[in-house]
Amino acid sequence: MIAAPGQGLAIAREEDRTSAARTRIAVQRLAKRFNASGREFVAVDDVSFEVKQGEFVALLGPSGCGKSTILNMVAGLLPRSGGRILIDQDTVETGKVNPRVGYVFQRDTLFPWRTVEQNIGYGLEIAGLPKTERTRRVASAVEKAGLSGFGQSFPRMLSGGMRQRVALMRTLILEPEILLMDEPFGALDTHTKLEMHKTLLEIWERERQTVLFVTHDLGEALTLASRIILLSARPGRLKEDFDVAIPRPRDPVSVRETAEFGRLYSHIWHSLGEEFRRTRAD
Amino acid sequence: MSNSRAVILFWQLAILAAILVVWQWGFEWSRALLPKAYVPKVLDPYFVAKPSLIWQSFLRLGCFADAGGFATCIKSNDNNLWLATLVTLKNTWWGFLFGAASGIAAGLVLGRSDFLARVFGPYVVALNSIPRIALVPLVILIFGLGDLSKIATAWLVVFFVVFFNTFEGTRAVDRDQIAAARLLGASEFTVLRTVVIPSALAWVFASLLPAVSFALIGVIVGEFIGAERGLGKLIIEAEARANASEMMVAIFVMMFVGILLAIAVRSLQSYLLRWQPQFEPSA
Repeated sequence: MIAAPGQGLAIAREEDRTSAARTRIAVQRLAKRFNASGREFVAVDDVSFEVKQGEFVALLGPSGCGKSTILNMVAGLLPRSGGRILIDQDTVETGKVNPRVGYVFQRDTLFPWRTVEQNIGYGLEIAGLPKTERTRRVASAVEKAGLSGFGQSFPRMLSGGMRQRVALMRTLILEPEILLMDEPFGALDTHTKLEMHKTLLEIWERERQTVLFVTHDLGEALTLASRIILLSARPGRLKEDFDVAIPRPRDPVSVRETAEFGRLYSHIWHSLGEEFRRTRAD
Repeated sequence: MSNSRAVILFWQLAILAAILVVWQWGFEWSRALLPKAYVPKVLDPYFVAKPSLIWQSFLRLGCFADAGGFATCIKSNDNNLWLATLVTLKNTWWGFLFGAASGIAAGLVLGRSDFLARVFGPYVVALNSIPRIALVPLVILIFGLGDLSKIATAWLVVFFVVFFNTFEGTRAVDRDQIAAARLLGASEFTVLRTVVIPSALAWVFASLLPAVSFALIGVIVGEFIGAERGLGKLIIEAEARANASEMMVAIFVMMFVGILLAIAVRSLQSYLLRWQPQFEPSA
């Protein structure tokens, strides 16, 4: 790949920063076993990785490889069967919410009885932020998400893409330093998905949260992430770890035309293909 | 075309007029025209009165046609139509309110706690299996002939209906919505206040509409079995005197009371559940 000098510099700087940065998420020998009708099955087996400050890491793997399970354990939503998870050196406790961590669901979890503004302002409201300050921040979030004019609407009046924007803003308004995202755009159509990628890229390239993003969509992972962790088919194990050295700011459409995108796409596709075949062989 | 507002209203009024006409004159006409065996007994004014008689009874019971004037009539009869309606309405309201409040509270508590739900489950099922009417004499024995026993009866009927719906509604709350609220910083109590209760509210209201009718039934049955005042008492007295038109007056008043209570609940419901499509304010 022949990069323009300026772009090459941008890559170098980004990599410098990440290598020197502190570790925000450390997953160590993580395991998860489920008991299904008396038979134990292993969902996640001996997975270790680290996410550093300001990294955008995509956790990629075939369906059922346990990537969402890993994310839910990182979020403390699910107890683990073995291993350790540290966020900023603190062990994650199941059921205890870390205020520095934001989580975006795949499923629509908006509160249907609250308007768009009330949904976005939920976290601020229960934190007891004064109303004037809340109104100001909610209004700016509504605008940032491209939802101007829909602040008073109830979620059912919105399209799937708009609802997911609301969900994203409901989490981002609390300014989490670490963002966990569980296939947040998995249920959206291609066009809407690209728009969401654009929104997320704009926000992330400005604010540089530490992101762990679960997806089974290779194109999505390459578009967004600075690093891709590839998981094997069940039981989920670490397969490969790639840096995505595509310069930023990225555009979700033109990013697909870069040489790096093509190279990584075919490489990871092969690797992923083996795992899909294994899944089907089961 | 045929279902435009005016057409529907026309048919509704036409049916009402037809019912009133047949009720008023049907028995006389059929007696004059038909052989005796074919005269419909259901139209006999002795049993079902007739609109003109009911109207007269209404004026008399309501103190509109008293020679001594409205005020003295009200004072001389301590179960006049106004007082009876007021008493029945008041008891229905309190019974409904206590029943709904305690039903919602119990439903939320048991719905949120697996432990309590399992401990109390069999008791709830057992108590609910008792036909509520069977308890009315007991309630009157305990609380006396006054208003308290009527409120208690209504409470008994309303409580279980509301309890079961609240319980199911609490159970049906989306787990991911609860998880989302927690991840956004909500405490257990905040989750209850901001997620569980609003989410279960649709289920609660589904039970409140029948519950308000049940409360009225509870109070009336209580008044049948033993009371000093109320619309139920009015009916029992009229029955003793075989006065069908007075019974009909009480029945019609109950109908209006029932409609008013239903409208009250319905408008509260459409305000609180305005986020649901079926309650969307029509433009």
